[in-house]
Amino acid sequence: MRRFCILLCCLLLPLTARAHLEVAATTASMGMLARVVGGDAVRVTVLAPPDRDPHALQARPSMLRALRDAELVVAVGAELEVGWLPAAIAGAANPRILPGRPGYFEAAAQVPLLDAGQPADRARGDVHPMGNPHVNLDPARMAAIAQALAERLARLRPGEAAAFRANAAAFGRAVEARLPGWRARLAGAPGAVLYHRDGDYLLARLGVPVLGYLEPVPGVPPGAGHLERLVGELRGRRGVVLRQAYQPAQSADRLAALLGWSSHVVPMEPSSDARAEDYFRVIDAWVTALTSPSA
Amino acid sequence: MFTRKLLTTAVTLAWASGAAAQAVDNRELERLRAEFQQQMQQMQRAYEARLNELEGRLRAAEGRAPVASAAPEGVGVHAQDRLGEVSSGSAFNPRISVILDGVWYADNKRGKGAEIYEHIDGITHAHGDHDHTALERGFNLRETEIAFSATVSPYFDANLYLAVDSGGGVEVEEAYFDTRALPGGLKLRGGRFLSGIGYLNSQHPHTWDFVDQNLPYRTLLGEHGLRDTGLQLTWTPRTGSLYSLVGAELLQGRDHHFVSGAQALPDDVIGIGHGGMGAEKAGPRLLTTFVKLAPDLGDSHAVQLGVSYAKGRQLQEVHDHRAQNPLASVHGLQGDGWLWGGDLVYKFDAPGAYGQGDVTLAAEYLRQRKDLTVAYHQTNAGAIGAPRKFTQDGAYLQAVYGFAPHWQIGARYDITGMTNKVDRGTNVREWETSDRWTVALTRHLTEFSRLRLQASRAKLWEDGEKQGVNQIFLQYQHSLGSHGAHKF
Repeated sequence: MRRFCILLCCLLLPLTARAHLEVAATTASMGMLARVVGGDAVRVTVLAPPDRDPHALQARPSMLRALRDAELVVAVGAELEVGWLPAAIAGAANPRILPGRPGYFEAAAQVPLLDAGQPADRARGDVHPMGNPHVNLDPARMAAIAQALAERLARLRPGEAAAFRANAAAFGRAVEARLPGWRARLAGAPGAVLYHRDGDYLLARLGVPVLGYLEPVPGVPPGAGHLERLVGELRGRRGVVLRQAYQPAQSADRLAALLGWSSHVVPMEPSSDARAEDYFRVIDAWVTALTSPSA
Repeated sequence: MFTRKLLTTAVTLAWASGAAAQAVDNRELERLRAEFQQQMQQMQRAYEARLNELEGRLRAAEGRAPVASAAPEGVGVHAQDRLGEVSSGSAFNPRISVILDGVWYADNKRGKGAEIYEHIDGITHAHGDHDHTALERGFNLRETEIAFSATVSPYFDANLYLAVDSGGGVEVEEAYFDTRALPGGLKLRGGRFLSGIGYLNSQHPHTWDFVDQNLPYRTLLGEHGLRDTGLQLTWTPRTGSLYSLVGAELLQGRDHHFVSGAQALPDDVIGIGHGGMGAEKAGPRLLTTFVKLAPDLGDSHAVQLGVSYAKGRQLQEVHDHRAQNPLASVHGLQGDGWLWGGDLVYKFDAPGAYGQGDVTLAAEYLRQRKDLTVAYHQTNAGAIGAPRKFTQDGAYLQAVYGFAPHWQIGARYDITGMTNKVDRGTNVREWETSDRWTVALTRHLTEFSRLRLQASRAKLWEDGEKQGVNQIFLQYQHSLGSHGAHKF
């Protein structure tokens, strides 16, 4: 009997010792962060496809399966995933990843948020009273989040703490190295009209003004009256209109045409298997769109 | 943590610089001094971060949105790892949400359409239990749903769903706890809840894609589906890329179409007639099991397959048709009943805005059997012990397509009683098959409000007569309060 137990332990030991830390990231940028900080110690599954609106997803069985086996969830948070993540976590029957446990990491909880403390009044649309959740486009905040994530990973895998912290620091340095270049390219950029408040963090970080939003209030598509108002306010100024691929083209293109500006589709997320470089290319794409000349 | 370390270092330093200083060499002293300095700096940084955070919270409390430049400038700011979530849901405990639901209704039967739906021919005839919220032509306030949910402790979550009807009557739709911390993918639910059988059964009316309940559910399970008090154990095993869920329920089994407690005979026949009804069995009288399987089909497609089985240990029926036919004699049946079903759901998630291009297909089949014998008869002693084997089945197929941002069109075909018969041993009585076509156009104004226009054309059989029932609904739904997350 004892011999059998020892044999069993010998068989199981390599499994437990070499097992990856299973991470379920809600979005591709969170997956990128987990991959960059966790390095070889983690295996990352991204729940939300990068080309979908993370507000509007539905909990799907494949998400439940990924969450069932996960040791750590890396979410954007601030209620960005409120329509599906709570249901998916509840359905996954995995106590390690419940909010409040070390297996649940929320990026928005690690950094100060814009628009925090607004009244929870839905007359103002689908507001997030805790703050704007779209922190993933701010590279500096992402660097801070990477540090916090390194601490969390260190808590789950104390043996590799040094590597996690070094990875996060390297990501921070990479951001620091790129920020001046982006700012320099954007010096004098006239600003942009966004579809949704999803580019606020990036534009604020890079010092580019947000000239307006196509959505009259978050979550409500623009009507003719709102477009007219925007045109009235912005006529004679220079700028660009930016939207995500999953946001309707019609109103963005119409506004651009009325103002004589150009309209661009910019990515919100890198690919699902992104590394740091892919994430920086997303920021590059925004910088390029923001510097493109108005017609 | 910091302070304790600091204290130890300081004590060590003091001791080192004291009388025993000679014992410690200078290098050790230098090391300790460096450590002291480093920890001092660390503490300073931590306090700075705390201060910044407090400042931010103060600003937020003052209602002034902080300007972006006040956010962490530069990259080197030390972020502390914080547990938990940023959620307005946790600001109120419990979370509360309210669903308002109303319809404008019309039919081609001078308002009797809804009543015909309650008397569809089948193995379970309405025993005078009329729906208390019968539809009127014109405006109707439907049930208002009030939901409370919270985490009770590290070990339990709890949910309460109340339905308030237009007359002010309150019904406990669901009131249950869920375990949070069971290992191995296990979860235990206890209280009153919607059973996990089938696909639509556990969904509340506000998540339906159509205004009304489908025919197989309505005729075999009841208007609200299968809902009872008891325990549910589910298990989500580790099955690689395949999602699977196995569940079993022990339910009290009261007043369902295929399982009930004891049913009393009318007072005026007690003591006369032949035979008698058995005593009530102790609960749980209803056992259900279900399995759901979903392979991983990538980011855009999802399929889920389910099978369910439910077995009732005691079913009693008292048939008293003297009100319709004065010559009829009262008789009572008893035995057991069971139900099985299969369901298939397919969803396509398109990258379009506001649900544009999304497709949902759902199909279900249900079959119910009641194995009964005559236990009491008012006049005929020879009938006692005669078999009455009832069988009825039903199915629906529905599709919903997001044809434009915020717009959905749905179509449904539902049918009940393809098999619809009672086998009395010597003869078989059959009832006709009822079916219906439904089209629904839904406009989601925002995530929290929707309008729906639904038209249906049904061929229903009531007391052996065919009734063509056409209905039109115009429905609004509003959801207030905390933002709910919906299951697959």
